[in-house]
Amino acid sequence: MKNRLLLMLLAVCVGMLWFAPAAFSVARDEDPTEALVRKIAKDLRCAVCQNQSVYESNADLAKDMLLIIRDKVRAGEDEAKIRDYFFQRYGDYIYLKPTGEGKNKILWLAPFLGLLIGVAGLWTAISRWRRPRTDTAENAATPLTPEVRERIQKELDQIQV
Amino acid sequence: MKTIWKVTLLLGIAAILVLFALGLNNDPRMIPSPLVNRPAPDFATTDLDGKPISLAEHRGKWVLVNFWGSWCSSCVSEHPYLLELARKTRSRSDFVILGVDFRDTEQGAKMFLARNGNPGYRHATDPEQKIAIDWGVYGAPESYLVDPTGRIRLKQTGPLYAGWFEQVALPLLQESTTPTGTPQAGKP
Repeated sequence: MKNRLLLMLLAVCVGMLWFAPAAFSVARDEDPTEALVRKIAKDLRCAVCQNQSVYESNADLAKDMLLIIRDKVRAGEDEAKIRDYFFQRYGDYIYLKPTGEGKNKILWLAPFLGLLIGVAGLWTAISRWRRPRTDTAENAATPLTPEVRERIQKELDQIQV
Repeated sequence: MKTIWKVTLLLGIAAILVLFALGLNNDPRMIPSPLVNRPAPDFATTDLDGKPISLAEHRGKWVLVNFWGSWCSSCVSEHPYLLELARKTRSRSDFVILGVDFRDTEQGAKMFLARNGNPGYRHATDPEQKIAIDWGVYGAPESYLVDPTGRIRLKQTGPLYAGWFEQVALPLLQESTTPTGTPQAGKP
């Protein structure tokens, strides 16, 4: 009986967790126009506040840019055209996420290039550490001269085991 | 470590430091305008007296379009030069100045001109800064020089300074009306 009650309680909890996001999400009844406005505005930089999007900024310029985006979306312009409108006026600075074109390719490729160089360097270093030390010039075995060989033999003979 | 690797490493570090030093000299507020050497966006609105005003009506002349607002403190420091420039160029038939008073009220703009002096040229009103955004403006004051064919030839971010017309604008005015690319103006 007690177990059945606990199981039912658990089922209710899981059910609440499952349906809660859909039931309480602010955006569930969002107008599709406004959703597109939000999407575009979140990708555009507020030109006067360094690292905030037009959507998040409280700057006057950002607010007016948001109004322009809204007007254009309501007029039926598509996302690419609206993004291009701002790009034509402010350059690629207006995009919060740099595009992968032109000089920006360096931005995208440099970390991977650095990683590649790092891995190559590490590989070289590890393979050098793992190589036997006799490979190095200073540790290479020097051939024993007859004099040295004779001296070693003498010293060995003197040792009494 | 072999000498060649040491030299390569040092050169790499030196290159990064040089790039870093060059980057420190960049002004993060100076955004290059992609509109330079491209057709100026036209605007048609009303001036401070309520009369229609557009950029197109000045086609055939060099037009200095100055974006300002009564809320802008740098515009106060720029204003004496604009008064002087308007006086100096009044007799020129090939050059006009147009103000664009953006994100401002008509009353605020008129009070600004009454307080700081009226240069005498016309001011387009742009209360919702639609013209300003259409021109890629992000602060005030900003000025654009438009050639007689309606193409933006340069952008000045920040206040115009004494000698700007002679040093920056006049050489452009004196060349032909089919010019080639021109660099953007900066502070002296």
